[in-house]
This record gives sequence, C-alpha cells and structure tokens, in this order.
Amino acid sequence: MQAFLAILRYDSSQLLRSWVTRLWLPLLVMPALFLVVVAANEEELASETLAAYVAAVLMPLSALAVAVLTAGAIAGEAQIIADGILSRSVTRTEFVSAKIVARLGFALIVFTLVMVPFTYLVVRYAAADVSYGGLIVALFTAALLLTFLGALGLTLSTVMTNVLVSVLVLLVTVLASGLVLQFLGLRWMSTTAVLTELAPTIRGETPAWDLFRVVFVFAGLTAVSIMTTFSVFRARDL
Amino acid sequence: MHVVNTHDLTKIYDNRYIALNALNMRVEKGQVYGLVGPNGAGKSTTFRILLGLQKPTAGSIQVFGEAMGAERADLRRRIGYLPTNPTFPKSMTPIAFLQFVGSVLGMPRDRAKIQLSRLLQAVDLTNAASQPMKGFSTGMLTRLGIAAALMNDPELLILDEPTSGLDPAGRKQTIELIRELSGRDRTIIIATHILTDVERVCTDVGIISAGRLIYSGPMADMRRLARQGTIAVEIEGNTSAFEQEITTLDEFGSVRYERLGSEFRITFLGTRSLTDYLQRVLQLIDRTGVELLHIDTGSDEIEEAFLRRLEDDRTRGFLRAAAWAAALDGGVDGPGSSGSGANGGTNGNTTARTGENADAGIPGHPSV
Repeated sequence: MQAFLAILRYDSSQLLRSWVTRLWLPLLVMPALFLVVVAANEEELASETLAAYVAAVLMPLSALAVAVLTAGAIAGEAQIIADGILSRSVTRTEFVSAKIVARLGFALIVFTLVMVPFTYLVVRYAAADVSYGGLIVALFTAALLLTFLGALGLTLSTVMTNVLVSVLVLLVTVLASGLVLQFLGLRWMSTTAVLTELAPTIRGETPAWDLFRVVFVFAGLTAVSIMTTFSVFRARDL
Repeated sequence: MHVVNTHDLTKIYDNRYIALNALNMRVEKGQVYGLVGPNGAGKSTTFRILLGLQKPTAGSIQVFGEAMGAERADLRRRIGYLPTNPTFPKSMTPIAFLQFVGSVLGMPRDRAKIQLSRLLQAVDLTNAASQPMKGFSTGMLTRLGIAAALMNDPELLILDEPTSGLDPAGRKQTIELIRELSGRDRTIIIATHILTDVERVCTDVGIISAGRLIYSGPMADMRRLARQGTIAVEIEGNTSAFEQEITTLDEFGSVRYERLGSEFRITFLGTRSLTDYLQRVLQLIDRTGVELLHIDTGSDEIEEAFLRRLEDDRTRGFLRAAAWAAALDGGVDGPGSSGSGANGGTNGNTTARTGENADAGIPGHPSV
C-alpha cells in the first residue's frame, strides 16, 4: 500500500507538471466561457449548448490529451520504471494500479473541474430545457467514454514500446471503430453515436434501455481493458 | 545459506538471441562476488532476472532461499540495485528521488531524510542535491543510483557496472565505498568488465561468457590461477643462447614462449610450482650469462587469466557440447549438474563454487 501511494503521488505530480496539462485546461476553459456568454445573450437551449461543447470541444481535446497521457504512461517510461521503481520493493500490481488510478483519476478530475462549473453556468443563464436526471446520465456517459479511452491507452502502453505509435493506434482505433460498428449494425456502440445522442439525453428524452446498454458496454470494455493491462504488464519483461 | 542460487537459468529473447545459457551461479552470504564478462555476456540479464524484472525462459532462480518473481516485493525490499547507466526521472531532484525511494520502501519520513542526507554526502552529491537530474552527468547519476540502492541498508547489494562513467576520483571513491559496505553480513554482487575493480574489492569471482558461467571461485584462487605458469623476463647479452635453451626448462612440449624484443614471456604448462619454474629460469639466466633487467611473475595477472579463461572456453565449446550430448544420451547428469567430477570448473555449465572445483580449471590442466 505504501508503494502504491508513493507511486500515485509521484505520478500525479508528474501529470501536474506535464505540458499536456498546461495546454489541456486552458483550451477547455476558454471556449466554455465563450459559450456561456453566447448562450446567455442568445438564449440558446442549455441542452444543445452543453451537448455541442462536449461533442465539439471537450471530447476531441480530451481524447487527444488522455491518449497522450495514458498511451505513454508505461511505454514512455519503461527504463525509468525498471531502474527507478520496479527494481525496488514494488509489485507489478501495485505499480499498474497506481498508474491507472493516477492517469484515469487525473482525466476525471479535469473533466469534473471543467464540466461542473460550465454546466452550472449554462443551466443558469441559457434557456432551461434540461432534465436533471438526464443531465447527470449524459455527464456520466461522457466521463465513461473518457475513462474507456484512457483504459485503452494504458493497455496499449503496456503492449507497445513506442509512445507515438501507441497514441496514433489509440486515436485511429477510436475513429475507425465508428465505421466498423456502423457496418456491423452496432452504430449505437460508437462514440460518435453516443455524442450525437447527448442533447436528447440531457433533456431526458432518451429511453432508459438505450442509456443502460451504452453504459453497460463502455463500462464492460473499460473493465476488460484494465484487466488486460494488468495481465500483460505482469507477464512483461522489463 | 546461498543468497543467490540459480539452476540452469536460461533466457532466450524472442526465440532469436540466447542471453543466458543454463547458468548455474551460487553466491553465499557475506561474499563480495564479481561477475566479470565482456559486453553482452549476460551480466545485466542475470541481474534483471534476479530482481524479477524479467522472467527466465527456463531454469530457476532463488534469492534468500525463495523463488524470485515479479510480485516478490518482499524479497526486493532486502535488495539494493544499481543499474548500469541508470535512468531516473529527469525532473526530480536527488532529494525528491531518494525520498520517493524511501517512501516506496515504506521508510518513515524522518528516517528517510536522515538516511538520504547521509548517503548524498557519502556519494558526494550534497551540492547537487536540489538540482533537477536533467543536467546530471552519467557519473552523477551512477553515484545517485548507488545512494538509492543503499536507502534500505540492503542485505544484498547488486551493482551493475558501478564505476562506469566515473572519473578516476569518483571511481576510487566508489571502490572505497564498496569496501566499506562489504562485511557485516552484507552480500555484494558486482558486474563489471573492469578487472582491476574486481581485484580490489571482490572476495569471489565468476566469469561469464555467452550466457554461461565458465569459472567461479575465490579471488585468491583466481590470482593463483593467473600467476601459475607465466614468467616474463627482460634480458640483455647473449639472448639467442637463452632462447635456444628455454624449451629445456621443462619436459618437451610443456614450455611455450613468445619474444618481444629483449622480453621473453615464458608459459609453463606443467604441474610444478611457480617457485620451481622461477628457480629454473634464474638458473638458465645464470648459465647462459645474460644480464637480467627485469623479471615479472604477475603483471596484468587477472586480465591474463580472464582472457585465458574466455579463450579456453571458446576452443572447447565443441567438446563441451559433445560431452553434454553424450551425458544426455547416457541418461546421466549433464555437465551442468553438480558433482560432475573431472569435468569440474572448466565445464562451461558447471559452477565451481568455492575452491573445490577451481583447480580443475587451471589453464594448463585441461579437463575436457
């Protein structure tokens, strides 16, 4: 447990110092403020404003940031990990757990820091059309998508040795999955479909079953990714 | 008790490269064991498996009497490790890094601070203690690595090329530090290709070549091995008379020599003692009336012995493979098994731990 906490602290401090973080937060905050002003002045619908922000700003930027932060979590630090960390009294399980908690936790903290005040301001100043239940589910789904992306990035970082290739593979996989799923008649499982459905979800118009199956599938995929990360990293030579 | 015990340890990377080839190595408590070998011999791979960073393809490894693996943090807690050319987080300062190591090891914060201050002073990094590591030289990183390896006052200290990248002063300081650390029931394993380092600090030595331990024994035996048989003399006067009679110094075929100007390097392959051979050489000098300028029975001795071992191992590779196959066909223990008798120390796969088999591997006493 001490090793887990030590690595968690170390990794979190590395993330805070990262150039990705320095770019990510301002790039999310500035358009959010702009949208709040526009929505208040133009009396835009809160659900449409929130959904547009999530689909056009938050998800693309966050996907890129999360991809870089997670796909390089292990691949980019293999030597440091072996020399400085895992040659000491740390188990692989402790190490991977700390990495997962730090990286995914960091992504979710950034998401919360941006989305909670932004949602509050939009709901307060734009034309109110939101259902609070729908709003919570929509935000939860968006957070789940980011978590899944992060988990997949961590899996790739244990499998691959090149950070850039890991990031590219992750982004291409996410983008290409939409086409494949559409071809297979499973469009509802694609990230694009989930994002286009956000506005009705915020208004509370999406059937509960549709929401459940999306949450179930992405939670399941996240769990599978995390288990794969553990199993691959435990067996890997450093 | 063996602190480290490997049995037929084998590591093959991607079915393409054999890094370790049935390595049998035993290190006992309190030893300062020098693992010597050329680059790519398998020293670092041995250490990585020993720490659970890599899995062996075949064979087994025990540390403190227990099987080592990736999840054995309890065993690693008792080990300090310095990797070769260590890579540490560049944005961290030595103080922050050692604090991190202390917290990973579960040390109380106060104790960790006392320990890190002491260690930074010991490795002469006090002045750089608050600077980020990105500007550090290889030598500074190595010294910091030594400090990190000592944070938990380990029972087993593994140093992979501890003097690599150090200037002469740093090297001397590191050797002194290792000397200080030896004893007190601490076991130290040092991998290096700098033989003088091994000679200065190690109580025992193992020679690794192409993933196999081709010699293992006390340092004193290695020195004896090195001294055995070679006498260098520098003479002037009637050197051709001296040269003509060199081969009469021992039985036919038991004396080899090479001449470099006025210097003769005479190698005796017989079983007599060095003192006896020395006496014969001095008598020959007297008899032929040459003037002795210099005589040496041990210059570059360890290096010489080391190179002879490697050469010996290379030339006997085929015979060893044949012996191994024959042993397998006959359903008896192969050369890798303990107690393989006459095959003893020169048999590539056999570990001649302590002196018992070491004599079997003396150059000039072919055992295969």
